[in-house]
Parts: sequence; structure tokens; C-alpha cells
Amino acid sequence: MTAPATNLQKTDAPVVASVRDLRVHFKSKAGIVHAVDGVDFDVRDGETLGLVGETGCGKSVTARSFLRLVPMPPGIPVSGSIMFHPRQRCTACDGAGCVACDHTGRVVSTCPACSGTGCSTCEQTGAETLDLLTIPERDLRSIRGNRIAMIFQDPGKALNPALSIRKQVAEVFYAHRSDELLASAGIDPSSHSLPTGLLRRRATQQSRTLENVLLSLPPLRSRRSAITAAADDRVAAALAETQIPNPRAVMDRYPHELSGGMKQRVMIALALACDPDLLIADEPTTALDVTVQARIIELIKELQQRHKTAVVYISHDLSLVRRVADRTAVMYAGRIVEVGDSEQIFHEPEHPYTRGLIDAIPGAHHERGRLAAIEGTVPELIDPDPSCRFAGRCDFAAEVCWTRDPALEPVGDRQVACFIHHPPEHGEAPTFDRTAR
Amino acid sequence: MQIRDYILRRLIVLPFLIVGVSIIVFGLTRIGGSPVAIYLSHEMSSEEVAEIEARFHLDEPVPVQYAYWARGVFQGDLGWSGVAAAPVTAVFPNKLAATMELAVASAVVAVSLGIGLGTYAGARRNKLPDHITRIISISGAAMPLFWFAIVMLIVFWVYLGWFPIGRSTPEVFASISHPTGLYTVDALLAGNFKAFRDAIWHLVLPAITLGYGATAIIARMMRSSLVEELQEEYVDAARAKGLAERLVLRRHARRNALMPTVTVIGLSFGFLLQGTIVAEIIFRWPGLGRWMADSVLRGDRATIMAYVLFTSVLFLVVNLVVDVVYAYLDRRVVLGS
Repeated sequence: MTAPATNLQKTDAPVVASVRDLRVHFKSKAGIVHAVDGVDFDVRDGETLGLVGETGCGKSVTARSFLRLVPMPPGIPVSGSIMFHPRQRCTACDGAGCVACDHTGRVVSTCPACSGTGCSTCEQTGAETLDLLTIPERDLRSIRGNRIAMIFQDPGKALNPALSIRKQVAEVFYAHRSDELLASAGIDPSSHSLPTGLLRRRATQQSRTLENVLLSLPPLRSRRSAITAAADDRVAAALAETQIPNPRAVMDRYPHELSGGMKQRVMIALALACDPDLLIADEPTTALDVTVQARIIELIKELQQRHKTAVVYISHDLSLVRRVADRTAVMYAGRIVEVGDSEQIFHEPEHPYTRGLIDAIPGAHHERGRLAAIEGTVPELIDPDPSCRFAGRCDFAAEVCWTRDPALEPVGDRQVACFIHHPPEHGEAPTFDRTAR
Repeated sequence: MQIRDYILRRLIVLPFLIVGVSIIVFGLTRIGGSPVAIYLSHEMSSEEVAEIEARFHLDEPVPVQYAYWARGVFQGDLGWSGVAAAPVTAVFPNKLAATMELAVASAVVAVSLGIGLGTYAGARRNKLPDHITRIISISGAAMPLFWFAIVMLIVFWVYLGWFPIGRSTPEVFASISHPTGLYTVDALLAGNFKAFRDAIWHLVLPAITLGYGATAIIARMMRSSLVEELQEEYVDAARAKGLAERLVLRRHARRNALMPTVTVIGLSFGFLLQGTIVAEIIFRWPGLGRWMADSVLRGDRATIMAYVLFTSVLFLVVNLVVDVVYAYLDRRVVLGS
């Protein structure tokens, strides 16, 4: 089967982030929970990667690992890397989009260790490479919300009830765009005078109580207000981009005064405020009404195209992922079992679990009043045995599935972790022709 | 509702509450017998006693006595204090200043230390600082004030001699004038650093002792509510924005954690006021509390009533302030609904 032209283009696109052998375990009273146990996948520039799986399969933990938001303890980082290649604004066109940057407005940052010639730090790619799991906290903070942003499942919980929308969105600009704010306020950020120092600390949210008192007094007051005004302009623009009507009025509201859809728009606005390379969307529509869902999905798609942002879209809703994602990764019990082009996966699922999931989507082929389901439940992830995690629920499982763990290996354009496609050297291989039960 | 309207509405209710409270306490003071005893001495004849009873309207029925007392309050006359041997209104301001100075200093200790310790412990849950704070706060809530105060007195005044007792050193007291009766403020007004240091020095021990119990309660509350808030998703969302941990803690988590703590602060102010009685007796602090204790023991009704009047107003005002602060912190609160 040939993939559509657009997807081929995406396949050639450079990799923004690559996850390799990610393992995150959790300590519990019963033992070590292998929540994420050897996950590999790439996110390519500008694409939408759907990450699907049922509750507890480790998709949220995988997503949060990008920003190191998994609480440790109880989480234990076991192994793996998330290599991220940040981009910067294209200098040739100043972000407008030109031939030099392939109309994305952004170019890959060059590796600071070898200035682009290729070295061991950047794996000979010449692009700046950061392992998100090991870089210092300080460097990570400059990436969070700036190069990689995140949207959460329930916007009602992800917004702070005590702060106005204005303050919550402005924080992103203060955290990552303080120089721009100072420049807009007509302050030379490179000056070393005391007033500039105080204002710079204000613009980077470092002011202490006493400094704030000084800043509220006449000589500095007007310049402080100029910084605030510069931030307000950016907040209003960010909110307007997510089609929030009357952004200036919404800015002064508190989260409880907005509807769920509105709150998610605010979250999207602040996530895209700094034009990130990668957006992690952790079930962004699950907590919303169905009618609002469709509009939020449209909005994310539209903004993604405008900003040329890569999106990792996490969901348990397969039919939704089919609509939004260029490529899909199917997760099961802490592993990725199948990755590939979304349409291909939907038409010809290769992994028995993916098959089961797609069969479970209610459709015309189902008898009225009956819903297909995968028998059994997700296995306990506490100190698992070396076996295929799906063996217990798989219709085709052979003996080898119980004794060995299939690796994720290529099948055509896709990657699948199943012995059906990669028969073991010894013993009988399972096939789709023979059911175990 | 506007905050201003809410405050006004609460202030309108205030007089009715005071009348209610004063009637109850006026009635209760009669249980210990006739209040006339405080004005008597052994040499008085029964005619003289009757004359005094008539002078203070003690020969009338209790409701009429209350009416006389209430009329006095409206005319600015709180009665004659047998304990102080002076009109209540003459003695009250100075004693009030002494008590307020102590209570405010204790409240400052309790609130700042309580919130500080609670934040410090909550952000380091189940680590050493948390355990130490837990020991401090549980001991603070468990020790009775009178016992703790005596121990503090023995250790820091008797043995170590680090802190004095009483309210000031006599010669320092005489060196400046006292327009407000708050010795620290008076010293600052006079620009006398030595007097200021002396006032602070006398204040430290009773303020810490009295504030300790409230510190413990506030720190416990702050710690547990901060631990709870730190598990909320908006904390992760704040981190995902790239904010420094200090901002995540202070601007995001602590602000929300303060909401339940503010209620506790309001309640512990009552606790503090009650504590001034014990602390003033033990540290020889010439305030309302000590005067009140003597008055209760000797049945000095005029003083008791003045004290009740004052504390009920103060308590209601503090609770009003707490409500307003709460509404400021949590925008979901609609005052008065």
C-alpha cells in the first residue's frame, strides 16, 4: 500500500525529538510498577503523532517525561533518553517563512560543541541535541513552555484558581521573552544601571517584596507599567489567536468564570505563546463536551499548521486519533506495540492488540446492540515476567509469546512488536490463522 | 457583592451582637453574688453599705441595673473599677495599649513563623525539615501555655538572664513620653533607639511564648494544605510553563494553600487573646489580661463588662478582616451569599 504524498513528505522531515528505550518505573508497596518499559519512537518536524492506549498503559507518563514532570519519588527513572533538537527563528526571513527554512520560519539550532560540523555530542547531525532526561534543571526550564509546551487533560485543574488569566498567560512571556518585553517597554536590556537591573528582575519575575515596593514608586513606576503593558499586549494577542472573543475582557477573568472550552483555549494560548517546536497534548478534549471537542481539535490543527509545531497527541480514543494524527503509536502495558502511518494502521492493523482495538470501535459491521471487546484485562505491571504483555489476552498467542518478549521491529513502513511478524529462531511462531482459544 | 457593602453590612450587625453578649455576661456576673463587695471595706456600717448600693444602683432589679450600665456606656462611662481604684475609662487605654502591643507582637510571630515553617516543611515533605517542624508544632499545640510560660521564664530569665520581665526598665520608661502607650511606637516617635531596644527586649520573651501555640497550629495547617496543593495539576502546569521552582511554590501553590490557613489564623487570634491573660500574669505584663484576672477573682463587674465589650468587638473585627482576606485570596468566594 502506498502512503499519500503528504505523509511521505512527513516521513522525510527531520526528527524533532526521539525517545529511546524510555523506562520509568514506580515504587509501590506491592513492588516495582513498570509503567513505561522500553519505549522508542520519533517525533518529526511538524507532524502530529498520536499516542493511543487504554488507561494505565503509560502514555501520560511517556508524555510527561518530555518535560520531566513525572514526580520522583515515587517515580524511578530507569533508563532511556529523549533527544530533543531545538529550533530557532530563521534569520533569513525572521520567521516569515522562506526557502532557507523550508517555509517553516524556523531553522535547526546548530550544535554548540562543534558549530554544526558533526561531533559525538550531536551524533554527527550538527544539530543542537539535548537529552531532556539529563540536562540540568536550569536548561530544562528554558525549554519548558518555550520550545516544548504541554496542554493538560482538564483545563479546570490545570489553571490556577487564584490567579487571573492575564497573570497566568503573562508568566510564560516573563519566563521566556523578558528581553523582548524590556525592548518593547523602551528599556535597553544590556544596560547595567541599578534601575535597569531592578526592571530586568521584574521582567524575569525575580523581584522580591522590597524591590516591588521600589518599583511602585514614581521614578520606576512608569517603566514598570510599560513592561506590564508590553506583556498585556502579548497576552491579548495570544488569546486572540485561539479565537477567544474579546481577549482584553477575558484577561481579567478568573478560571472559574470561564467555560471548559474557553479554559482549554486559554491553555492552548499559553502553550503556543512562545511558538514551541513540540506540543504535548495530553487528552486535551477528554474533559470537554462533545460539541466543544470538535472545535478544540480544529483549533489545535489550525494553530499547528500556522506555527509548524509538531504535536504529540495522547488519547484513548482511537477514532479521534485517526482524525488528528499523521502517524500513530499504539501503546500497551508500558510498551509501544505498533507505530506507523495512521491510515495504514487503521486499514491493516498488524498487531493483534491494534486489531482488537479497531474491532472494538462501534461501526456498521457490528451487530446492533452488541459491542466487540478485547477479552481480559490489562496485566499487572508489577515486576512483570519476560513475556509478551499481551499474550494473556491475545487470540493467537503461541508458546514463545509466554517465554520471550517481542521487540519493536520494522514491518513494511511500520514497526510492530509481535512474533507473528518476526518469527522466533526456535519454537513455533504464532500466526493470525490459528487461534489459541 | 462588593467587599465594601459586605463590610458595612457586617458592621451594622455588630451593635446587636454586642448587646446580646453584654446581656449574657451581665447576667453571669450576678452568679458570684452581689458586685457590691468590691467597693466595701471591713469598717463600713450597714448604712454606708446601703448608701454605696444606692450609688451604684445595686438595690434595683438586675434588668434596671443593666439599663443603668448601658446608659453609662453611651455616655462614655464604663463604671468604677474597684481593683484599679479608678474609673474604668481612666485605666483602660493604657492597659489596652499594653495588651495590644503584646497580642500584635505574638500575632506577628505566629503568622510569619507559622506560614514560613509550614511552607518550608510542606515543600520538603517527609524530609528532615518536615520532621523537625512536626516536632515543633505538635509540642506547641500540646504544651499548656501556663506551664510553657513558666519554663520559658525559668530558663531565659532566671538561669540565662537573656531577657527581662515586665514591660520596660524604669529609667528608660521615664526618659521618653508615652503618647500612644505602645512603648515600641513611643520610642520610635521619640527617636530614641535605646528605648526602642528596651521595649523590644521586654517584648520578645512573652511574645514568643504566647505566639508559640498559634505558630504550631498555623504551621500544621499551612504544611498540610501546601502538601495538598502541590499535588494539584496546576502546579505541574506552572512547571510546564518553565517557571522557577520558587515561583511555582510561592505564586501558585502557597497562595492557594493560604486559603484554609487564613481561617485558622482568624480563629487562633481568639486563642491568642485568651492567652494574654496567662502570659501577662506570668511575665508581669501590666495589661488588660492581668487586670481582668484580678477583676474576675474579686467580682469587679465594671471591669469585666468593659473587657467583654472590648474583646467581642475585637473578635468580630478580626473575623471580618479574615473574611475579606479570604475573598481576596479566593475569587470564587462571593461574600455575603
